[in-house]
Amino acid sequence: MSPTLQKATLAPDPDSETGAVAVLAVLAGNEVYGFPLSAVREILAPPPLTEVPRAPEHFLGVISVRGQIITLIDLPKMLNLEVEQTEPYGRVLLVDNGEELIGVAVDSVIQVYRMEPVQIEYASSMGAELSEYVVGVGRVPSHSSTDAEDMLILIDPVSLLGGMK
Amino acid sequence: MSDPRDNVQQEFLAEAQELVEALSRDLLLLDEAHHRNERIDPALVNEIFRSVHTLKGIAGMFGYKHVGAVAHALEDLLDDLRLGRASVGQRLLDVLFDSVERFQRLLALEDPQSPEEEPGVQAYIADIRSIGMEPEPEEGDPLDKYTIEPAVLAVLTEYEEHRLRACIREGLRLYRLRAAFDLTAIDDSIDALRDVARDDAEIITYLPSMEGGNEDTIELVVLLASRVAEAELKEHFEGRYGTIEAIAERTHLPTLPPRLTSIPSAAISSGPQPEEDPSQASLRSVANSVRVDIRKLDHLMNVVGELALVRSAIGRIVDRFKSESAHRQSLMDLDRIGRGFERQLSELRTGILDVRMVPLGQVFNKLARIVRQAARERDKQVRLVVTGANTEVDKLIVEELTDPLMHLIRNAIVHGIEPADTRTRVAKPAEGTLALNAYHKGSNVVIEVEDDGGGMNAHQLREAAVSRGLLSADAGHELTRQEMLNLVFLPGLSTSSEITDMSGRGVGMDVVKTNILRMGGMISIASEQGIGTKITVTLPITLAIIRALIVTIGSRTFALPITAVREAIPYVPEEVRSIQGREVITLRGETLAICDLARLFGFRRSKRGEGRFVVVGSMGNRELGFVVDELLGQEDVIIKALGKSLSSVRGFAGATDLGDQKVALVLDAPTLFTEYFDGPDALRALETHL
Repeated sequence: MSPTLQKATLAPDPDSETGAVAVLAVLAGNEVYGFPLSAVREILAPPPLTEVPRAPEHFLGVISVRGQIITLIDLPKMLNLEVEQTEPYGRVLLVDNGEELIGVAVDSVIQVYRMEPVQIEYASSMGAELSEYVVGVGRVPSHSSTDAEDMLILIDPVSLLGGMK
Repeated sequence: MSDPRDNVQQEFLAEAQELVEALSRDLLLLDEAHHRNERIDPALVNEIFRSVHTLKGIAGMFGYKHVGAVAHALEDLLDDLRLGRASVGQRLLDVLFDSVERFQRLLALEDPQSPEEEPGVQAYIADIRSIGMEPEPEEGDPLDKYTIEPAVLAVLTEYEEHRLRACIREGLRLYRLRAAFDLTAIDDSIDALRDVARDDAEIITYLPSMEGGNEDTIELVVLLASRVAEAELKEHFEGRYGTIEAIAERTHLPTLPPRLTSIPSAAISSGPQPEEDPSQASLRSVANSVRVDIRKLDHLMNVVGELALVRSAIGRIVDRFKSESAHRQSLMDLDRIGRGFERQLSELRTGILDVRMVPLGQVFNKLARIVRQAARERDKQVRLVVTGANTEVDKLIVEELTDPLMHLIRNAIVHGIEPADTRTRVAKPAEGTLALNAYHKGSNVVIEVEDDGGGMNAHQLREAAVSRGLLSADAGHELTRQEMLNLVFLPGLSTSSEITDMSGRGVGMDVVKTNILRMGGMISIASEQGIGTKITVTLPITLAIIRALIVTIGSRTFALPITAVREAIPYVPEEVRSIQGREVITLRGETLAICDLARLFGFRRSKRGEGRFVVVGSMGNRELGFVVDELLGQEDVIIKALGKSLSSVRGFAGATDLGDQKVALVLDAPTLFTEYFDGPDALRALETHL
């Protein structure tokens, strides 16, 4: 992950003096993911889905949003996570990857967090085998219980769009 | 995202491009008139002058130094031409035609100020300047023949005065038309008058008269020169426009009144300034149209689609309440209004589609230049006959068409039409004819490129294909004549110039075909040796809307463009045989390969064994049956691109909204054909090639 990319995708909130970033936290397949709020255009109830035969597995298909055809992806599959998806997804995020709007299927939306840079552990400094779409991880208060923390997987929207092969 | 400066730059380039195209078109007319020894229409010369003049102006504003310099030199030359100080000749035409290419190159420069271009530009300007001027013949001032008020003569521009003299010299009679014009619509009225006059007379100038008119109207005196008789002219103008009278000819030569008579102040203050600068007229005429980015129209189209969804949602709510009697009347009203809304919506949709339409003439004008150029290069005599230049097609198609048609035209001249001496030997007219015909046929537009040249040698094509290993000798012997001709579209055959020179056609025909297929079109060829060749290109009128056959495959809905479909027949599993691992059926005695789309797309085996269909597709000379589950009917669908993220998935040309947010994928027939017959590897090779 190049430093310039992190800078571009996690541009700090202009109102913040500490360089905090607004992150939308969502739940998908038991994991909490974060998207920079600046890249999220819209949150929708899932429109009817049309499968695209012969597309790689992480493509769920295409949806129509106000006449525009949008590709819908399965986030855990994209990150090669083994998840038993039993429930149908509950929301679709429209994420701008700089080139096109991509639909990301998620179970539910949790809330927007203001994350200080110190709360984020960047992938480059962790050395762990993280997917190329991940900027890093952050810790946020748990969405399910009051005394625990959630690991939030911070997604890089630019690679999400351009990085798909 | 985009720099506003960039936008302005784009605007400039678009406008400059339009001017150069107009210039090119007008030059062809000039060339034609010159070659037929016809009288050169002064309005045409004026039009050319205006294009160059405007180009000079905007080039200066945007720092296109070289464009400005060339335009400036040309403007001087054209000014001499329109003032009768220079005359139309071959050399002048050549220099003018050169300018079109030169402008296009200069406009395409990364650096519009590039010093590298300097020498070339200067040389060209010297060329322009070297074209000799011809002095105006001095044989007594023709103006002396008429009694024209000094006040009128005093306000004539140099150009108007020149036209006045020229008209008198050509033996035209002068008339004075007095007419009242509505002040608010005066420009339109004068344009209308110009149009009416065009055939019969030339308007030299017009001035406000000193009498007549009131608050809303103004009386103008129009000075006309005409070659038709006074009575006829009267019939034409009198009543509709006002009174007309012949200006008396002098019987003896008077002494010309002094030119510098002061103009009566009333002539100026009594109304709006009469138009004198010809460039102002051009500004006014373009004010009636606007240039629109096609993406904005796409956006509008999406909005219309969205409105249709809103409308159907309202309709459903109305239906839900209909059973409740309480607001029966209101609901019926709402229903009625809803229907009206729907009608307007479909008008809006048609309207937007209509805006995307442009006449094919836009491409044809470019092609006319290619014809002239190719004919001169090869020293051949070619007459271009164009029909249907007004046929309208989608703007995107027009853009995509230029290259393939250019190829076809060049081929027809270079390889088709014979040199003049060869033609006369076989009793053909020395001048070859190249016809470019366009017409609508259903939801398609057909474009024919036809020449009366030597035609193609089908047997030579076959031998070439065999010798290149594209065809086995045995297979070659089974080909019909038409199939032999179709070999010209094979890649690898047509790229060789030595063969195409023999066969009489075909440089890059495979590329032409690929481009046409990409647009959802078809191309076919007919050729008789010694008589000529006709290439027919059939295209959908719009890329955005196509007629499609809606089918289901494994309970999913797909759209198949109707242009690729020949027929649909019931699928009978018992009749399927296997040849070399491929499934085939027999259709009217012919073997037809079939492709089960459910299997190709990896859907679970369809439950239905029976009741399925084979949709027979044809692409050029190949046929393939697509096995589908159900036929749902035909529909006009708007094709929308799939996102870039799906660009690696093959076989789909896009998707379309079937209403209620249901999306159907549009099958890409050319790709499926290539994949089936040539294998996925060939497809990849083709793509990397393109």
